[in-house]
Amino acid sequence: MAATALPRSDAGPVDRQRALARFLAEASGAGEAEIGRIALLAGGAIQQNWAIDVQIDGGRLAGPQRLVLRCDAPTGVPSSLGRVEEFAVLRAAFAAGATVPEPLFACADPAVLGKPFFVMRRVAGSALGRPITLDPALEPARPALAARLGQELARLQTIRPPRADLDFLPADNGPQARIAEFRAYLDRHPNPRPVLEWALRWSETHLPERPPPVLCHRDFRTGNYLLDGAKLTAILDWEFAGWGDPDEDIGWFCCKGWRFGRLDREAGGIADRAAFYRGYESESGRRLDPERVKFWEVYANIRWAIIAMQQSDRFLLGGARSLSTAITGRRATECELELLMLLDPGGVAAYA
Amino acid sequence: MRDLPQSRDLMTLARELLLDELLPLLPPERERDAHLIATAMSIAAREARADDWPGEIVGLLNGFYDEMTGDPLGRFAADLRNGAFETSPSRTAAARAILWRMTIEKLREGNPQFLAANGFTGAGVKGE
Repeated sequence: MAATALPRSDAGPVDRQRALARFLAEASGAGEAEIGRIALLAGGAIQQNWAIDVQIDGGRLAGPQRLVLRCDAPTGVPSSLGRVEEFAVLRAAFAAGATVPEPLFACADPAVLGKPFFVMRRVAGSALGRPITLDPALEPARPALAARLGQELARLQTIRPPRADLDFLPADNGPQARIAEFRAYLDRHPNPRPVLEWALRWSETHLPERPPPVLCHRDFRTGNYLLDGAKLTAILDWEFAGWGDPDEDIGWFCCKGWRFGRLDREAGGIADRAAFYRGYESESGRRLDPERVKFWEVYANIRWAIIAMQQSDRFLLGGARSLSTAITGRRATECELELLMLLDPGGVAAYA
Repeated sequence: MRDLPQSRDLMTLARELLLDELLPLLPPERERDAHLIATAMSIAAREARADDWPGEIVGLLNGFYDEMTGDPLGRFAADLRNGAFETSPSRTAAARAILWRMTIEKLREGNPQFLAANGFTGAGVKGE
């Protein structure tokens, strides 16, 4: 929470605050907006989230408001939506009844803060993974939380193409196209990754049938939802959303990389799969097929391995002096162990 | 010929100093950074004292291919991509054994706790 200066390279913090205040007043139809506290929220390797307290004079948001401004961090990763597009996805999710922060305004004009951003209501809660999976006080609430998250996922999957408001989302080309992208990345990387190649080959030879596409969050996991006590208050971080297979988010949620110290709890480190599946199936009316989920869990581990490698590329190739991003590349091998455990279960007994 | 104490011992002492004495003085928002530094130091210390497992894997691959090749790991990866061993159960089993061995060795250095948490208790403690 140390930083208090909004991003922009060619204007001072005071100018930026004034520009933001003018934007908020105009966007909300107010006479004036006065910004009080501004603080950079924790996390956000790819995006920055700024907590902003503002007093708005008139218009549809008259009164004191607690907001979050979301904009790009200095370095992003490929496949991330722009902020204006993410705002549109968030708006669609809000309208579909998913538990998300109310989206308020988006700004594509770089004259305001130097980069596009959007503003949403600030919601109480914490997204830190380890307290969510390990805090004993949450123990009785975790199965219900897992079921609720399953319901949330089903709700957001009611958003389906074609949608004029989401026409910027590319058509779903299916997992085969993503396998080709992963291979192209590995071809550019200096270190061969035999386990990933082996798992990609398995994926290529076990492609599931493609159902009609739905909106996939693509980062729906523990660490990306807010809990206020035991209450779910928001699903966050919609920057990777796109059309895809409804089971893709199931596999990602259950991927071992997102269990935060509770590897035994396969649904996001918070419960067994049954609770999560029950919530999803009750809301969607669709029975989950373990073989399809397995495919997407394998895919999730490959994808997470490549994202981890891309993070350390920011140091190796991009010169980013960040220990956090540099060391993340090491996590790719954790995914590779999981791939071996998923695809060669006999090996566990042989090597453990 | 190098002066003593060895770098791995210095690293261990430095890590203890960081976690036991400096970490409690840090504001909460910097605690994760201290743990990251400690993790990086641990990886470096384990790599410094590890066996030459990359050389052993190269030896395994050369044996697997029955010949010395310029880039055995790259060749192995390309063959796995193309499913080159899938028609031979014995080649498939041998290839998987190399994948397991390489992955376990990497994690012994990089994250032995993760190995142990996955039930690889014998594999995870080596070098700790």
